[in-house]
Amino acid sequence: MPVQQRLRRQAAQNVDDDDMGQPHPQSPGEVDSDGDEQMAEVGPRDETTQLIKNLVRYALSCEYSRAPIRRDGIKEKVLGSNGREFKRVFAGAQKQLRATFGMEMVELPTKDRNLMTAEQKRKAAKSQTQKEPTSNTYVLVSVLPEAYTTPAIITPSKVQSAEGEAAYVALYTMIIAIITLSGGELSEPRLRRHLTRLNVSENMPSLNPNDETSPSEKTEMVLQRMVRQGYLVKLTDSRSGGDEDQTTWHVGPRGKVEVDKEVIAAFVRTIYGGSDDELENRLQVSLKIRDRKPGVPDMVEEVAEEEAAPNGDPGPSNRRRGRRRQTEAYDEESD
Amino acid sequence: MGDEWEPPLPAGYSDVNRAFLQAFMARGTLTFREGQRLLAAIQSASEGGSHIDPASITMDEFQNFIRTARDAVEPLDFDIRNTRDQIRGGERVWAFINAHSDPATQLSTTHTPEEVAYVKRLLDAMFEQYNTPRMEVMAVDEGQALRVSRPAARRESNMNGNDNDDEEHQEDGAAAAATGRGLKHSEVLSLLSSLVAEGWLDKSLNGFYSLTPRSLMELWSWLVATYNESDADADDDWQRIKFCEACKEIVTYGQRCNEPNCTIRLHDICEDGFWRTRPERKCPKCSTPWEGNHYVGERAVTSRSGFQRGRGRRARRTEAAEAEENGADEE
Repeated sequence: MPVQQRLRRQAAQNVDDDDMGQPHPQSPGEVDSDGDEQMAEVGPRDETTQLIKNLVRYALSCEYSRAPIRRDGIKEKVLGSNGREFKRVFAGAQKQLRATFGMEMVELPTKDRNLMTAEQKRKAAKSQTQKEPTSNTYVLVSVLPEAYTTPAIITPSKVQSAEGEAAYVALYTMIIAIITLSGGELSEPRLRRHLTRLNVSENMPSLNPNDETSPSEKTEMVLQRMVRQGYLVKLTDSRSGGDEDQTTWHVGPRGKVEVDKEVIAAFVRTIYGGSDDELENRLQVSLKIRDRKPGVPDMVEEVAEEEAAPNGDPGPSNRRRGRRRQTEAYDEESD
Repeated sequence: MGDEWEPPLPAGYSDVNRAFLQAFMARGTLTFREGQRLLAAIQSASEGGSHIDPASITMDEFQNFIRTARDAVEPLDFDIRNTRDQIRGGERVWAFINAHSDPATQLSTTHTPEEVAYVKRLLDAMFEQYNTPRMEVMAVDEGQALRVSRPAARRESNMNGNDNDDEEHQEDGAAAAATGRGLKHSEVLSLLSSLVAEGWLDKSLNGFYSLTPRSLMELWSWLVATYNESDADADDDWQRIKFCEACKEIVTYGQRCNEPNCTIRLHDICEDGFWRTRPERKCPKCSTPWEGNHYVGERAVTSRSGFQRGRGRRARRTEAAEAEENGADEE
């Protein structure tokens, strides 16, 4: 029923507006009532500080529901008429996020050229000028030293339920690790085989396993959510007409940032119950990470940057590398 | 300016504080015991992995961390408040909250507009329908929660619907969509369960849903503004939201004066300290003897003889669950 849908969308917008609009309109009055001396110098500084505050709050509220932080969203909901201030406000908000929360906004990588259809590639080539393509979309990640990111300190957040969040994080981390270690691409049947081994081929825990009416959710629904939130990309070759052999799974932009190679390496070490030279060697070869003792926090950023850079060489070399990695993954499995 | 701008930070703010803040935000609330475990883990991480006994973390240390975190987030319109849990023995709870908060801003990021609208109806049920001068339940059982799953029917849409059925139907649909289409019962049960898991609602052993300390802190000003009459005479008139005579916090679970028209309320957890400072166990306002057997909260229902008679098998089951719970606590 189109009318209902439209109204519902309108209602959603209203709530949205309420949400972000609330701190916004009261900005001038609020600052004034805080103290007299501020009233005297309502200059550009105060205004910028206010915008920075709103951007920080916007970023946190987006992350709460795993919605990406979009440049357009920032312009619309934070900057309003101050659209020209983007750079300065963004830089300030980054500073504030790092200094106060130990978090920062990381730009998501643009769509992988390997994952485009020929048609899309042609279009991209045409529209692409000299400029590097940017996604203008960000996610919030923690920049705390690794020592602090233990389960005893950082627990799964209570959005919906801590148990459901934990299960969801575990599942997408597992799937992303499998995809990456299989060369960045996994065919539909192989994904299904892995899911069967994990005993989640039909159902996965829902976001709230305490819920007696729906403790679990169809695997299809959870995978869809992972795609929607950018953890996974599902690609069906249009020529195959929906043949499931032609469907492949890839790591999505958010997946690349949140579950980077270091995370995958740490995950594998945990699964293997520790680490030895052989495992480290294999990880280095499979993930192309540099030699590194586990638990020493360095080069995390570098890896993220490398990931974020648009993939320069598509084509055969990449695929060959992928196949080599695939066999390694098999080796590991057969061990 | 611009590049040289530095965010205001409390002195000595470091990664230890940032880790504390991230951990606090993920949990939403902290009790002192949870705080001890968390700070022990953080200190251990900052000192390279040596084991630190949570019991060695003092209340002063914990409160220092809370204060620093509060100073750091206050400029961003977040706040950290604390209150005592009215139900569970008065344990103090600290919550990370949004300084401008109403149910819509709190829930709109993860819940649909229909769900947010439902929560508003649920709060109305708690604080209007089931919170009358005679019965201040301020909680709803499952059946009552399901009864508000849809918005109250709009009468107007039927008034001018004299044409054919089809058109009337459409109009009804449009009106329903305008107020939110409501939720199916199964959706309500799922939502209630997730609100419990998220720490917004408490579900008691008798099956009553009420607001948690976290919700009360988060929604404090919104609740007062929404449900209390601002122009009423503060002392004499009955107000929907009332405050404890001893600690001045909201009472949704506690005792009331035996005189039905008197507005004095008291938390169970504040009772001992309160009477110790008084010569007699009498209401401080109307001097009616305070017997402590008139209740605010679910006991307004459960203490009545009708409810007790009807308990039957459920009571035994509840007691078994209670015993089990206590057993688990002692572990």
